[in-house]
Amino acid sequence: MVKYAIQRIIYMFLVFIVIMLMCFVLVRMLPLPVLPPEDPHTQVVRMRREAMGYNEPYLVQFGLFVKNVVTKFDWGLSDKLYFGQDVWSIFKQKLPATVIVNLYSIIFSIPIGIFLGIVAALKKNTWVDYTISTLTMVVISVPSFVYAFLIQYVFCYKLQLFPFVMEAGENWFSPAMIRSMVPAVLALSFGVIAGFTRTTRAELTEVLTSDYMLLARVKGLTLPQATLRHALRNCFVVVVPQIFGEFLGILAGSLIIEKIFAIPGVGSLTLNAINGPDYNLFMLSTAFYTAIGLSAAVVVDISYGFLDPRIRMGAVK
Amino acid sequence: MGLWNDNRYMIKWAAVLLCCVVLLTGCAAGGKTDSASDASGKGSSASADRYTYNTSVDQLCTNWNPHTYMTANDSYPHEFVTSSLYSLIFNDALHPLEGKEPYEGYVIVPEMAAADPIDITKEVRTKHPVFGIPSSADSGYAFRIKLRDDLCWDDGTPIDANTFVESLKRLLDPKLLNYRASDVYKGTYSIANSEKFANAGVGVFTSFADLNTTYEAYIAEGHTDDEVFVDISGIWNITTADNKTYAAITDDTKIRDEAVEEGQPGDYISAKEIWDTYLNAGMIDGPETYTGIVEYKYEADYPFENVGLYAEDDLTLVFVFNSALDGFYLTSALSTSWLVKPELYDACLKETKTASGSVWSSTYCTSKDTSVSYGPYKIASYQMDKSIRFTRNDKWYGYHDGRHVYVDPVDEKQYDMYQTTDIDCQVIADTTTTKQMFFAGKLAAYGLQAEDYDRYRNSEYCYQTPGSTVYFAIINGFADVIKKREEAADFDKKTKDLETITLPVFREACAVTFDKSAFVQNVMPRCKEGFGLIGSTYIYDPDECLYYRQTDIARKTLCDFYSVKADEYSSLESAEESITGYDPVKAAELFQKTYEEALEKGFITDLDGDGHSDQTVTLTYSVAADTDHQTRIIDYLNESFKEATAGSGFDGKIQVIKSAPLGNDWSNSLRNGLTDIVLAGWSGSRLDPFNLTDLYVDSSRAFDGMWFDAASHDMMLDIDGEEVTMNLKQWSDSLNGQTVTVSGKEYNFGYGKADVDTRLAILAGFENAILATGDYSPLANDGSMYLATQKTYDVTDDYNPILGYGDLSYTRYNYNDKEWEQYVKSQGGILQY
Repeated sequence: MVKYAIQRIIYMFLVFIVIMLMCFVLVRMLPLPVLPPEDPHTQVVRMRREAMGYNEPYLVQFGLFVKNVVTKFDWGLSDKLYFGQDVWSIFKQKLPATVIVNLYSIIFSIPIGIFLGIVAALKKNTWVDYTISTLTMVVISVPSFVYAFLIQYVFCYKLQLFPFVMEAGENWFSPAMIRSMVPAVLALSFGVIAGFTRTTRAELTEVLTSDYMLLARVKGLTLPQATLRHALRNCFVVVVPQIFGEFLGILAGSLIIEKIFAIPGVGSLTLNAINGPDYNLFMLSTAFYTAIGLSAAVVVDISYGFLDPRIRMGAVK
Repeated sequence: MGLWNDNRYMIKWAAVLLCCVVLLTGCAAGGKTDSASDASGKGSSASADRYTYNTSVDQLCTNWNPHTYMTANDSYPHEFVTSSLYSLIFNDALHPLEGKEPYEGYVIVPEMAAADPIDITKEVRTKHPVFGIPSSADSGYAFRIKLRDDLCWDDGTPIDANTFVESLKRLLDPKLLNYRASDVYKGTYSIANSEKFANAGVGVFTSFADLNTTYEAYIAEGHTDDEVFVDISGIWNITTADNKTYAAITDDTKIRDEAVEEGQPGDYISAKEIWDTYLNAGMIDGPETYTGIVEYKYEADYPFENVGLYAEDDLTLVFVFNSALDGFYLTSALSTSWLVKPELYDACLKETKTASGSVWSSTYCTSKDTSVSYGPYKIASYQMDKSIRFTRNDKWYGYHDGRHVYVDPVDEKQYDMYQTTDIDCQVIADTTTTKQMFFAGKLAAYGLQAEDYDRYRNSEYCYQTPGSTVYFAIINGFADVIKKREEAADFDKKTKDLETITLPVFREACAVTFDKSAFVQNVMPRCKEGFGLIGSTYIYDPDECLYYRQTDIARKTLCDFYSVKADEYSSLESAEESITGYDPVKAAELFQKTYEEALEKGFITDLDGDGHSDQTVTLTYSVAADTDHQTRIIDYLNESFKEATAGSGFDGKIQVIKSAPLGNDWSNSLRNGLTDIVLAGWSGSRLDPFNLTDLYVDSSRAFDGMWFDAASHDMMLDIDGEEVTMNLKQWSDSLNGQTVTVSGKEYNFGYGKADVDTRLAILAGFENAILATGDYSPLANDGSMYLATQKTYDVTDDYNPILGYGDLSYTRYNYNDKEWEQYVKSQGGILQY
C-alpha cells in the first residue's frame, strides 16, 4: 500500500508538471492584450513582460516561471485586475472565505444527507422514503442560486434572522461571522444534502438486502446494530470518496452564491483572470486547482484501501 | 485496522458533526440581525454617538495609490482620505455669492492652504528663467501658497511644504513610470518642466497619431529620419534581435518574420523595407492613422530642481505653470491629489530586474497598513473585494478650526460639516440584494432599476441626477456601403430598400418623428428629453457656474432648429420650453416627400400603382447584446415610424430590426455602414462643452465619420463684425485652442484666446450645423434616479453639477445609528418609500 501511495504521488507530480506546462504554453501562445500606445502603463507592462521572459522561447519562459516559483515562490504580478500586486497574496487573501463557507456547508450537509439516506433506505417504499426521495429529486434539479434568493428573501429580508451578506473581516469563527454565513451555507447545502441522501439510500438499500445482513440478523443483532456495524461500513466505500470529491468543490467556490451573499472568495477569480485577461493570476489558480484535483484523486484512491480491507491496489502478490 | 473498526469511532464522528450543526444553528438563534457591524467582525456598532453612512459598490478599489490608480473605483477612497489646497463649497450666508441665492453656486475657499494664492509671476520670471515664463507674462504663471501650520498625517506626522515637493518628485520619478504622472503635465494645466523631468533618461516613443502630425509635416518641422521609428511589433509582429519592438525607418537590419515560411519571399524583412514598401506608400497604417509610426525622443537626465514646484520655507510653496491660469482652473491645478507620505511610499516600492533595466511596482495604498490619510476620514479596515470602512481622522485640522461650518438654507442655523462619523462601504454586486438591504435600512441609497421607476419615481425620497450624455438616434448615411449591401445576393430588392435612408429629406422626417417625451417615459424613465447636441449639465464658465444650455444663444439655436418662433413667446426660455421636437403632421408630409423622391431616384418601386412603396425600408438596429432594453427601444422606433408614416407612401413600410449581438463592435458596425440605426451618445468634461465639438469632426471618433467630412462643410459666422468662413473641422480646432490659418489669417478661439461670448457663438453655430446634417437626432438627456435613505437628508434639493446635492460633508442625519436601528425596527424592519 505504501509503495502504491508513493507511486501515485510521483505520478501526480508528473501529471501536475505536464498540465502546468501545457497551460503555460497555451496561455503564452495566446495573443497578448493590446497595449494602447498612449496608455502610461504600456511601458511598465512591456518591461514586466520582458522580465517574465515573454521574448524568449516557450521552454525558457517556463523554466523562468518554475525557477521563480520554486526559489522565491514568486507567481508574478497581476497585470490587469489588481495591477502591480502580487498574485499569490491576492489569492491567499481570498481563499479562506471560500474554504470556510464551503467547509461549513459540508460539515452541515454530510450528516444530514447520510441520515436522510439511511432513513429512506430503512423505510424503503414507505411514505417516508417517497417523501425524502421526491424532495431529493426536486432539490437536485433546482440550481443553488434559486435557493440563495429564496433564503435571502425569507430569512434575511422578511424574517430578519440573518444578515443579508457575509460579515466583513477575517474572524472566521466569531459568532457574528458564523451567523452571517448561515444563509450562504444553507444555499450551498441543499444540493450536497440531496446528493448524499441519494447515494446513501441507493447503497444502503442494496447492502441491506445482502446475505451477510441476513446472517447478522440471524446471529441475533438488532436491525440498528446490523445496519451500523455491517451495512453502513460497506455503503461508505462509495459515500466517503464522494466526501473527498466535495472537498474539491469547497475550494472552487460558487460564483453566484459568492455574488449574492458578498463572499470575498475565489469563486470568480479564475473566470475574471481569463476574461481580464490576467495570465499570472490564471496560472496560479490553475496550478492550485490542478494540485487540489490531483491530490483529491490520490486520496480517494488510497482511501479505498482503508475503507475496504478487500481492496489492495498495487499490492504485490 | 481501519477507521471504522469500532462503533465508538462512529459515535465520536457523529458527536463532532452534531456539535457543528448545533453551533451553526445556535448562532442563528441570536435574534434579529444587527446593523452593519464593523469590518473587523466585532459585532454591532450601533450607538448613540455614531452616524454611519452605509453604502455599497459593485466593485471595490484595489489600488488607490494617488500615483498609479487607474479607475474611478480605485479613486473612491480619495474623497475621504485626502484634502486639497483649495476646495469648492456651496455659497451660503457665510460665503455669499453676488447675484446668486444660497446653494445656487459655489465658492472657492482655502483648505490645506492658509490663504488665497498670491500671483508672483513677475518675481519668478525674473529670478528663475529656467521655468520659461514668457517675457510678456505678468500674471497667471507662478503662485505662492502659504500652508496651514497644523497639517499632518493620521498618525500625527506633520505635513509641510517639503512633503509636497517630495511627493511630486516621486510622482514624476522617471524610473517609476507612474500612471498618474502625466496628470500634472498633460491635462488642462501643466507644472513647468514636469514633463521633461518625468521623461528624463527614458526614450519616449510617441505615435504620429498622438502628435497629430504626418511624416511629411514632421520632417518639414526640421526633424530627421533618425527620429522616426516603426512599431514593428504592432505592425508586423516581429521584434529586433535584442527584443526591441521599435526600429528606425533607416534601419535595414533583416529580421526573421516567423509568419512566412523560410525561403519564401518576405521571410526576412527590415524596418526600412516596412517603411519604404508599405507605410510610406500608404498601404497600411497610412496617413489616416499613423499609429504605427512614432517619434523617438531621448531626454538626458533632467534635474528636479527645474520643475515648477519648490518650497521657500516649511510653510510656503511656489507653483509655476507652463500656461496662465486663474479662477476655477487654478483651483483644479492646485488639487495636489498626488500627496504621499514619502517614507511609507518608499518602503512600499519593489524593484524587479529585467534584461534591459528595472521595473518597479508598489503596494502603497493597497491595504490599510500601506495607506495613510490627510483628509477628514481614515481607513479603519479594508478587505479586498469585500469592504472598506472609514472612520473620523481626529488629527484632521478641519474638525477643530471652526472654518468647516455652513448655514442650512431651511432653518438658517449653523452646522458643522462632516456629521458622518463612519462610512461603511461593502461590495454588493447583486441588485436584488442591494434593494432588499436598502429597504431594510442597511444602505443609504438604492439606484432605481427599470422595473422600479413606475413605483418610486414620485417618492419624496427619489432623486434624479442629470447625466452628461445626450442619446441620439444615429442613422446610417454611408451611401457606398449601403449600395453594396443592396447589391449582395441575399438582399431582396423587390421587398426591401436601404438607399432611401441616405436621402436628406428622410433624415428631416426622422427629426420630427420621435416623441421624445413619450420615449423617456416609456423607454428610458431615468432620462429627460434631449433636444440639442450638448446636454443640460455642461458649464461654460466654471467660475460663475453658468450653463451653456441656459444661454440665450443656445436657446435660440434650438428654437431655430425646431422652427419655434421665439418672438411669439414672452422669453427665449419659454420659447425653448415649448419645443417638443415632435410633429407627426410634418413628419407624414416629409415621409410622403421622401417617398416621391425615392421613387424618382429608383430606390423603390410602386408597380401596382397604389401610391405605396413596394419595398419596406428596413433599418438594422445595432445592438451590443440582445437585451430587453434594446427590444423596448426598437419597439418604440417601430411604433413611431408606423404613426409618422400613416397616410404617406411609406405607410407601414419602415421597419427597424435588431442586428445580431455585436459586442464591442456595435459602434464600428454603424460607422462602417453595416447597420443602419442606433441609439448612442457622447459625454465629456462637464466643464468644457467646447471640447465636445471634436467628437463630431474627428473621423476616427464620430459615428458618421465615414460618410460625413467635417472638413468639407463650411460655416460662416459673424465674429466681432467680421464674416469668417471656415469648415467645421477648423471651427472646432480653433475653438479648442489650435491656431487655424484661413485665407492667410490666423484664428484661435481657445480658452483665454477669445472672449467667452465669441466662443459661445461658435459653439452654438457648430451645434446647429451638426444637427442640420440629420445624422444625429437627439432623443434623451441621460440621468439616473435613486432612492435616498430616511436616515439622512441633503442640504439642498437643487442639483449642482459640481457639488451634486452636497457631498458627504453636508450630509445631515435624522437619526443616529442607535435611533435608526430602533426606527427601522418600529417600522417592522422594512421601510416604506
